[in-house]
Amino acid sequence: MTFDQILGHKRQKEILNRALANGRLAHAYLFAGPDGIGKRLMAMALARAIVCEEQRGCGNCLACRKIDHQNHPDLHILEPDGKAIKIEQIRAFQRELNLKPLEAPRKICMIEQADTMTVGAANALLKTLEEPRGDTLLVLLSSQPNRLLETIRSRCQPLPFNRHPKSRIQAELEKQLGIASEESHVLAALSEGSFKKAFGKDRDLYLEQRRDLLKTLTGLSSGSILPTLDFADQLAADKTVLPDILEIFQAFYRDVLMTLQGRGDEELVNLDLKEKIHRVSAREDVSTILAKLEALVEVRHQLDRNVNRQLAMEVLLLKLAA
Amino acid sequence: MAYLVLARKWRPQNFTDLIGQEHVSQTLANAIRSGRIHHAFLFTGARGVGKTSAARILAKALNCDEGLSDQPCGICSSCTEITAGQGLDVIEVDGASNTGVDDVRELRENIRYLPNRSRYKIFIIDEVHMLSTNAFNALLKTLEEPPEHAKFIFATTEPHKIPVTILSRCQRFDFRKIPLARVASRMREISDAEQLTISDRSLSLVARQGEGSMRDALSTLDQVIAFSGEQVDDEAVQTLLGMVDRRLLLDTVEAVLQRDSRRALDAVRRVDQLGLALRRFTQDLLEMFRGMVICKVVEDPAEMLDLVGEELKELKALAEEASLDDLQRIVTLLMKTQTELVNSSFPLLTLEMSLVRLATLAPTQDLAKLISHIESLEKRLGSTPLPKPQHPAQRPTPNPTPTPTARPAPAPAPAPTTPNPSPDPPPKKPEAPVATSTESKGWQGLVDQVKQSRPMLGSVLEHGRLLKLELPVIEVGYTKGSFMSSQLQEPDISQDLEVLTTEYFGQPVKLRVLAVDIEQQSAAPPSLVEEREAKETDRMRRLREDAMEHPALKSVQDIFKGEIKKVIPIDKGFV
Ligand SMILES: [Zn+2]
Ligand SMILES: [Zn+2]
Repeated sequence: MTFDQILGHKRQKEILNRALANGRLAHAYLFAGPDGIGKRLMAMALARAIVCEEQRGCGNCLACRKIDHQNHPDLHILEPDGKAIKIEQIRAFQRELNLKPLEAPRKICMIEQADTMTVGAANALLKTLEEPRGDTLLVLLSSQPNRLLETIRSRCQPLPFNRHPKSRIQAELEKQLGIASEESHVLAALSEGSFKKAFGKDRDLYLEQRRDLLKTLTGLSSGSILPTLDFADQLAADKTVLPDILEIFQAFYRDVLMTLQGRGDEELVNLDLKEKIHRVSAREDVSTILAKLEALVEVRHQLDRNVNRQLAMEVLLLKLAA
Repeated sequence: MAYLVLARKWRPQNFTDLIGQEHVSQTLANAIRSGRIHHAFLFTGARGVGKTSAARILAKALNCDEGLSDQPCGICSSCTEITAGQGLDVIEVDGASNTGVDDVRELRENIRYLPNRSRYKIFIIDEVHMLSTNAFNALLKTLEEPPEHAKFIFATTEPHKIPVTILSRCQRFDFRKIPLARVASRMREISDAEQLTISDRSLSLVARQGEGSMRDALSTLDQVIAFSGEQVDDEAVQTLLGMVDRRLLLDTVEAVLQRDSRRALDAVRRVDQLGLALRRFTQDLLEMFRGMVICKVVEDPAEMLDLVGEELKELKALAEEASLDDLQRIVTLLMKTQTELVNSSFPLLTLEMSLVRLATLAPTQDLAKLISHIESLEKRLGSTPLPKPQHPAQRPTPNPTPTPTARPAPAPAPAPTTPNPSPDPPPKKPEAPVATSTESKGWQGLVDQVKQSRPMLGSVLEHGRLLKLELPVIEVGYTKGSFMSSQLQEPDISQDLEVLTTEYFGQPVKLRVLAVDIEQQSAAPPSLVEEREAKETDRMRRLREDAMEHPALKSVQDIFKGEIKKVIPIDKGFV
């Protein structure tokens, strides 16, 4: 992967390329931004540009290919061992840094999910981050940079990555999956600008079942107790898809809220359900919709706390049908 | 290829370079001049404010080949070694990597030997809070009986994690966050020396990123240079820092204060389109509202907010528009949003909901106003139901004579603000019936009649607002797009209705159904249902509403997610 092959992030590429060209590469970077938008690709491209025999990350020379296969002796990648990066990992890696680079002009160290470092690990890294021995480049990657110690953040040059615009994600979805624009729109709108999220969505659920789920949901009324209980049953049945279903509900009521606020249809997630959204918004107002959205937020908290799913769904649906 | 970042290149080398820590450098310099030097120092303070630098400067001062001096020469071999972080008699230990008791034991072995060639053997332990309890205990023994030739300098960002026994044996120095202006002026010196072209405005934006830390600010400056080279333009700085445009923030603040949820959502849309981090936007928004709170309660907020000039003026002007209660509620809600965003599965929605809620918050009234409002309500309720305004003919004629309870005003000086001679509302007969219901051929009569033959239709009419009754035209208003108005417009139903009305009034009647906007509803006359409900529970409802609007109660709801089960009126004497 060269810089040019990475989608978007034009400015970040410029920053790194310029730093490379001017010999002003910092010794420690923090690539911060949501998951699945290309931070790691960028770090690998940077690594290639440094080791490359032609000094441009050509992708063909031996050094570049070693980076691609992650078997370059001067590339060190630190990942969480289990849930966290532990102090032993940091110490082992610091011993490596004491050695001179073998093939490349400098050693390169990538720390993935840097925010998972334990407090001990993070503190042990501080001195290295401030004044690394020899000529080392450290790249920390994080989607939750606010969870890093301030002292860690403070020692890195920050490089924030932005979410991808919806249109870019939508275009890629259509190109790679061959789906229609109404469908790619739904996936892109719920992707938070992340390719990983957009491509990772269960398409059967988000594209096919979504319509049925919403049809059942909006068909409920406060009088229809039995269908409500049945639906709760159905929702509670599968623990793994439940969060996605709740997201679908949230997106729907959000669309209703936006419609009540007089936003244009182009801002809707469920573009294909315009009529239903308008129909529902005719019988709701801002405060009733906010209450329903609140109920959805609340039920997520409850599920995180492992409350009885069936019960939680029943209560939720009664609130949504009110 | 190795490039030294600015923070390392421009590390302070002398006490006078320690910007913003004059209280520390003066005390240390005095101690050195007087020769009365403590054997253990503890440097505490936030990241990047100069603790490690101060430790090295102190070490140089103690060991300079030119003699003990508060102005170490910086060129002797001792000074240059320390600057490079590799002094023979200055041992820098990373507390975080050498946390164990063995590490400290090794240290204590080392302490017993005399310095190689300098005056003192100096141990600098950075991140000292990371030592284990056992390690601290081992260290304590040394600190209790330190050899003459040993000096200790501990540095930490977290002094509360250090045992009191250790604390009590150290001379402690608290390093402060560096004021924005000082960071900016130091950065100006550095930029000039580095031959950068950068505006004061950009420099101050960059300085602010440091939040009081020189290292953070300089690291941001590195970032700026890496991107734009030595000619830095303002716009690049703004975009580079992922900063939310101030205009956009101001716009959002205004929208919230003016209860304009559409405009607030426009702002979210722009943030989304720009790909900016939603948390960052929320944080900036929160800071702006917090700034407004400070403007309200602090005489001279400039220093506290680290703001000057235009920005301060804008913030003050905005603060003028809002009440303190409102601002505090907004800050509370935004703080909640901020935490929710961290784990939100749908951050855009979280922000949208939050802004809609902020922009639809009912304005608070202060407590005094609220109480007088309740009192005047009770006064009115104590006499009679409110007059029904919708039928001009039925409106009770205002009584021009003052009420007996009214204080006799001096005749030549009538109250200038009220055209009404009496400060109290005109009195009405206590048993005054609802005006419309008494009229034989009125709206209520029609609805009653319709109800007898078509109960559903009657109840639909009951929910309508009578806008006009001037035969042969009747106009009834319903909430725009409501289910009921669409019912009435069904051809079958409207036909039935026409027959019934014609029958009732004994002449052909045109009944028109009009849409009433939600915003206009409060201006439109109430429906019969609303009238009835109002009559029954007017007092309770108003009391409840007022109670629900109370800022303290709102905060309780916001914070604890409480639910109001019941509002119980208390006796007037209580308030
Ligand atoms: Zn290559
Ligand atoms: Zn010297």
